[in-house]
Parts: sequence; structure tokens; C-alpha cells
Amino acid sequence: MSKTLFIGLDGCTYTVLNEMTRELPDEGITMPFMKSVMEAGTRAKLASTPNPLTPPAWASIQTGRGPGHHGVFDFIRAEDKGGEIYWTLYDSRDIDCEFIWQIASRQGKKVAALNFPLTAPAPENVNGCVVPGFIPAKHLRRNTYPRELFDRMKQDIPGFDPKELAWDFDNEKQAMEKLSEEDTESWVRYHLPREEQWFRVAEYILRNDDPDLMAVMFDGTDKIQHQAWAYLDPELVPADPKPWEKRMRDVCLEYFRNLDGYIKRLVELAGPDAQVFFASDHGFTASTEVLRINAFLADKGYVKWAESDGSEQALRREASDFANLDWAGTTAYCRTPSSNGINIRVAARPGDSGVPPEQYESFREKLIDDLYSLSNEKGEPVVIDVLKREDWFPGKHMERAPDLTLVLRDHGFVSIRNFQPVVIQREVAAGTHHPDGIFMAYGPGVAASGMIERRQIVDVAPTLLHSVGLKVPKDFEGEVPAAFFSEQWLAQNPVQHGPKTKAPGERQAGEEMDEKEKQQLMEQLQMLGYME
Amino acid sequence: MNDLATPSMAPEAITAQLIATLEDFTADWDSEFEGVMNSDTKLLADLSFESIDIIQLVVAIEEDFGKRKLPFEKLLMKDGRYVDDLSIGQISDFLAQQL
Repeated sequence: MSKTLFIGLDGCTYTVLNEMTRELPDEGITMPFMKSVMEAGTRAKLASTPNPLTPPAWASIQTGRGPGHHGVFDFIRAEDKGGEIYWTLYDSRDIDCEFIWQIASRQGKKVAALNFPLTAPAPENVNGCVVPGFIPAKHLRRNTYPRELFDRMKQDIPGFDPKELAWDFDNEKQAMEKLSEEDTESWVRYHLPREEQWFRVAEYILRNDDPDLMAVMFDGTDKIQHQAWAYLDPELVPADPKPWEKRMRDVCLEYFRNLDGYIKRLVELAGPDAQVFFASDHGFTASTEVLRINAFLADKGYVKWAESDGSEQALRREASDFANLDWAGTTAYCRTPSSNGINIRVAARPGDSGVPPEQYESFREKLIDDLYSLSNEKGEPVVIDVLKREDWFPGKHMERAPDLTLVLRDHGFVSIRNFQPVVIQREVAAGTHHPDGIFMAYGPGVAASGMIERRQIVDVAPTLLHSVGLKVPKDFEGEVPAAFFSEQWLAQNPVQHGPKTKAPGERQAGEEMDEKEKQQLMEQLQMLGYME
Repeated sequence: MNDLATPSMAPEAITAQLIATLEDFTADWDSEFEGVMNSDTKLLADLSFESIDIIQLVVAIEEDFGKRKLPFEKLLMKDGRYVDDLSIGQISDFLAQQL
């Protein structure tokens, strides 16, 4: 029996969820259990991080803090070394805030965190278990905590297959690529057994470990929506589908039908006293055009392309998702498609390449004007908002953020390829991240209020801690949505604020024992003869 | 924290710890490598590393040696490009300079 069950649904959006939970001709109700959840509980849209992307958004869900404080902005971490850029991936150690898994652990709660991004290496001082998401199978054992859990799963879970469960880098890259009909169907279908694997892990943990705070994330929603959005968006689903389109629709429905079964089973296993919460890191919508941002910046003189020597390595590099530029000749560029960000290279010393510090503001204002001037062939503006980092990413890690973050008209991600024209229309609409995700509550003490006003992504963490019986750290940036709970339950469980979160190095398991725990410890020590 | 991760480790101890890390790292891989790892063993050519594995190895080394944010770019990049392969000896020499 858990006190709190948290189910993450990567990229889940009401646009799709509403369709899956209503009676449709020839399809019935794809997610009947989720329908009952939505009818009996309370839900809201959930505003994502300023760049609605998996790593910063899930980091905010797990810390209750924004990217400016937790320090993660993208999948890829880039360090400007003056003459060149060093590329690597963000990992859990880059998160400069305490995880809710650690906060709950040091106050005696047992936790399980399954398939969450940026939980590898496993956060320190966890009382319970972590099986990280977004980690290749080859590295899953090493990053599973406790280490022996991996072997227990192999031994005890029938059909457990790390390769089927884990993130496959080359496969997942295809989420953002244009695939053939056959490849698209295969790619979508590939995610069905992955999700089954994560469900089996979650089922196993619930049955055997009995965590107070049980959390699992299903990420097939995001992946499938990237490639199969045209078969899920009610405005795009073909009225008279071709055989292939029908098969695509069917495999998508199969995914969501399976997901509904997993959710129902986990809720049952958590027990009748568990409060259940659902959240996604961002929503989804249709992207209809592509902006080749570095090609645009090159046209304007901000970017200089690296000379290609035609070698195999150079060709591979140019096809990658990292910007490959002549750094000395570049003053403003986009590092990765997923960042939707523009970095300005500021000269560290006089004579260095880049923008002189005293010219930074005027340079940036001109750059912003240039960005707003972008339009497509119909004359429509491509960029609808340009976010300055000091306004949108306040905190000690603001310097890690792009100087500017773009919001495109269709919420799409930019391309960093060296192609012309700068803006093109997609042949087929692709799924892309929308800033509004989902946040839902269900179970004892939860009001049956239906849809309430939009919440912020940093509201998830305080809500989970409150549900599991803990005070909300006063430095959290979010709030517990009172409207999620019944008045009676809130009267018995008022929201209380407690001490700040622990900075790295301050965290010690077992701190903040309550008086009863202290008494028990003293008694045990007396029995062992350690105290007089 | 690994007890071996102390300042001024002897080069032999660094190599031994690095090999132990790599053996643990590759324990359940489908690798064709059947020999004994030594300073000449190469990550890509011998151990079938891919680029994602090198990133994970950086994390593993930092964890096992108890050091955060070692300047791996000095080891991994040369003339603005990533090196094609690395031997255990090269990594060990790099660590000897940093620890």
C-alpha cells in the first residue's frame, strides 16, 4: 500500500486524452479507467518550463524549482571553451537542487522513482529505489539503485529485458526525423513492449517494496505523438483513412488502451487509501513548418559555417544534432534543435572572438529585431516571442541558459541544418511540444471538480510531498493547488511549510527525525549499551 | 566513495582502478573482447564502445575516482574535433595528471 502514487506521462496532452476517454464511432472508449479518473477527480493544464522540453521540465517536476535554479536546460550540455565547444549530456549531478526523492527519503519516507529523466547516476541518500529513464540498456545496471535491484528484477520479473526496457539513442533520435510509412509503423509499435516492461517493473516494486511515494513515468506517449500526431489529433485524423492510415491509428489506440490497463492495475496495487497524481512535462500540438535558424543567422552575418573537408567524419558531424560552426567567426548561434535557444558569444578578453561585453545589449536588441522580422512564404511571423534569459530563467544557473529562447508560431523546434530556404512548410504535420501539459488528481481526499485553472510545473513537487505527509520546503517555487483537494481533507491535512531544501553536500539521510524516532533510536542505543 | 580515490594516486593504482571500472562497466555487454584489459586496450576498436558509452564512462570514472567535473575535454578533443579512439593507457595518463 502506498500513500501516494505518481504517474508521469511524457508529453501527455488533453487534446489526445479527451479523445481517448470519450466514445468514438467504431472505436469505443480507448481509456475507460482514465475516463473514470477524470470524472471522479480534478485536473488542470500544467504550464511547462519556458522551453517545454523533457530534461528541464522533468527536472522542475522532480525539484519544485525552475531551470535557472536547478541548472538543466537541454539534453546536451555545451561548454564554450573559447576556441571550441565541448559537448556532453546532462546527468543527475548537474541538477543543483534537491530531488523530491531525497527530500522524502531524509524524512523517513520510502520512495521509488522509475524511468524519470536525469536520475542517473541515482541521486544520493535515497531510501528506496531508482531505476533511471533515458539511459541505454548497457548502462542500466550500473545506474540502478540499489545495485542489486537490477539482478532481482532479472531474476524475479518474467520476461524482463533491459534492451526492450531502456532508451535506445539511435532509435529515439527518429522521433524527430521523417520516416517512411513502414518505418513509422514499426517505430510506433516498438514502444508498446517498452511500456509493458516499465509497467512490469512498477508492478514488481509496488508488490515487493511497498514505497510510501511510488512514482513511474511512461514515455511512449511523447515518442508516439512525435511521429504519429496526424493519427491522434482530432483535427487531423483522416475521415476516410487509407489502409495504412487505419493501421497507424489502430496501433496508436492499442498503445493508449494498454496504458489505461497499466494505470488501472497500478492504482489497484497502490491500494484504496492512495492518492493518485498524473503529470506531464509538456503537452503536444501540430508543427507545420521548419525554421532553419542557423541558416537564417548565417544570412544575417551572425553565423559562419565550418569548412567541410568532405571526410566521412565531417559529413557525420554535419548531420548531427550539434551545431558545427566556425566558432571564431560566429557571434550568435543555436547550439541544438531542442534548445530553441540562441547563444551569444561574448569575448572574454579584449582581442578574443565574439561580441565585446559593452556591446552585448545593443547587439542583442538588434538580434531580437532580426528574429521578429522572420516570416514564412505567406507573410506570417515565424517567431512569436523571444525570451531573455534574465526574465525567464532567474537563478544562480542563469548563465547556463541560452541568451535568447525562441517561441515559434506553431511551437515547433528549430532546425540547425545548413539548408535553404530558411523557412519551409512540412509535407505532413509533425507532433511537437506545446507548453501546456496535464496535471490530475484522483483518490481519497481529492475533490471531484473537473477542470480547474492552469497550474505551473513547479506545483507538482509540493503537491506530492504534501500528499505523502510532508511539509513543503519554503524555497519551493510552486504551490499545492488547494482546489485539487476536498475541504474536509484539507482541514485535516493543512498545507504546512518547512525548512528550505538542502544544497548539495548538506544532504544527510536520517536528518530531521521526529521526536518519536529520536526516542526509538535512543532506546535502541541504550539496549546496545552505547548510552548511559 | 572508493577508498582508492585519494590525492596523488600512484600511476599503477590508477590504471588498476580504471580497469576495474571498465570491467564493471562492460560486465553485461555483448562484447567480443575476450582478452585481459591492459594499457593498450582501445575503447572503440577493442571494447566496442560507441560515443554514448564514452559519455557514460566519464560519469563512471568521476564516480569511482570521487572527482567531479574532470576536464575530459582535454582528453576527448583535439584541434576542435573529437578523437577517434582512446586507449586505457591514454585515459590513465590523463587521470594521473588530474588526481
